[in-house]
Amino acid sequence: MSTATVAPPAWALKVEGLGRIYGDPSPESVPGTGPESGTVISPATGAVVAAWDVGFEVAPGEALGIIGESGSGKSTVMRCIAGDEDATTGTINLRGVGDGTVDVRTLDPSARRGLRLHQLSAVYQDPAAGLNLDVTAGGNIADPLTAVGWRHYGRIRERAASLLRRVEVPLDRMDDLVRTFSGGMRQRVQIAKALANDPPVLLLDEPTTGLDASVAAGVLDLLRELLEETGVAAVVVSHDFAVIDLLTRRVLVMQHGRVVESGLTDQLLEDPQHPYSQQLVAAARG
Amino acid sequence: MTTLQPSAPPADLPAGSVLSVRGLRKDFTLHTIDGRVVEALHGVDLDVAPGEHVALAGTSGAGKSTLLRCVYRTYLAGGGHIWFRTAAGDLVDVAALPDATVADLRGHEIGYVSQFLKAQPRRSVLTTVASAGTARGMARDAAREAAAAALRQVGIAEHLWDMHATVLSGGQKQRVNIAAGTIAPPRLLLLDEPVSALDPANRSAVLDLIARLERTGTAVLSVFHDLDAIERLATRVVVLGGGRVLASGPPEQILRDSSLPLEVAR
Repeated sequence: MSTATVAPPAWALKVEGLGRIYGDPSPESVPGTGPESGTVISPATGAVVAAWDVGFEVAPGEALGIIGESGSGKSTVMRCIAGDEDATTGTINLRGVGDGTVDVRTLDPSARRGLRLHQLSAVYQDPAAGLNLDVTAGGNIADPLTAVGWRHYGRIRERAASLLRRVEVPLDRMDDLVRTFSGGMRQRVQIAKALANDPPVLLLDEPTTGLDASVAAGVLDLLRELLEETGVAAVVVSHDFAVIDLLTRRVLVMQHGRVVESGLTDQLLEDPQHPYSQQLVAAARG
Repeated sequence: MTTLQPSAPPADLPAGSVLSVRGLRKDFTLHTIDGRVVEALHGVDLDVAPGEHVALAGTSGAGKSTLLRCVYRTYLAGGGHIWFRTAAGDLVDVAALPDATVADLRGHEIGYVSQFLKAQPRRSVLTTVASAGTARGMARDAAREAAAAALRQVGIAEHLWDMHATVLSGGQKQRVNIAAGTIAPPRLLLLDEPVSALDPANRSAVLDLIARLERTGTAVLSVFHDLDAIERLATRVVVLGGGRVLASGPPEQILRDSSLPLEVAR
């Protein structure tokens, strides 16, 4: 009789022991912070331990959610993975970089920035964080394409048009400045830009927060379809259980900079274990 | 976070079983209500073989749905083991597997049909059923054909197929749910009152559909609220009471035993 040999799927993104401290990064800053202490501020040094000891793996075609209230550290984790800021400690490995053997934090800054072209993309709550509003929709999408060496104008237009079609932005708006777009349309352009070079890893930070309900629903449906179609490994950061429930099958709960619980998304909604998770679920149920 | 240590399966599990539950315990600690503990299962043992349909019976609150949800890992087991034999022949403990592995098993080998439709919003009826098939490895075209056949079988009229599944009536949703759950049948199918909202004719069509699963070798573990469905479908009935197995046997024997607490229409 063979025993448990079913292996978890190979990861596209692996994060281990990730920590981010604002202020004194010494080990003395950590004690006295976290869920048990009810604060992220170190009593010893006054440093803010925004995230600590965060780890997870995400496989191709899988979406992992990170949920928690504002200040829980979920967006900090995302920004550290995206390279928008450097973590204080921990490792971040991408399957596409040295077949997963390289901690991307050890790369030099230009190589690290280069990852954003081929290896991973981020979609932010605020489209202005991912787009240049004073450039056309087509121009915004052309950016990552030319950065990786696309030169042929016609092909770039073609690729941009096909991406805009995919995210359901009318093609007659392609040459309009993004500034003239509605919030939902801007978000769609940001998603199109993030997908321009077919990155294996996609980070989504509150992708529908701030949009009107009907507009948010459209963007969510689009994201759900893209996640199913593309086989991308996605990390979805949100404070909204409806978003997490729709897009992800596994989820981490963060509070005061720590992961307090992880599980299958439906399990977390139906049988949350940690007091904070139970509070979140109770609040979401109303 | 609790870390569940994997352990080796005991040597005395029935060789042919798809599912062998051993010593399953479950309680709920309600931190939002002063840490109150609600006890649900106190050590349940249960086996289901391929092609076998085991129906759970017992009064409301006996732990029937809790057991199904623990097997599907919607609930985390508080103790014991949930041995599942995969298509590849491996024996795995669903209670201790990594989340990602359970998610994969759910896609392909373990199905769950509740009394409520869990459909993606703003997705058509046909796509809802067909995507359950593609998730279990069917080709896209084959899945759409099978979905159409399944929807006809459970009496969902064709003019409803392109409507969003979430806007259907309760009974229609339930039938879409069972169609999605039985297309490309998984090795183990968990049914939690799948016909509770159906009128007699539709109910009968759905029960026929479930009865045919036996021939595909699917192992079924079910909760029905009426005797008739159990009698018609079950090869064995397991009676739960107070979170324990009180009795187990063929339906004709168990359902006529007036000493057992069965909250079913006799």
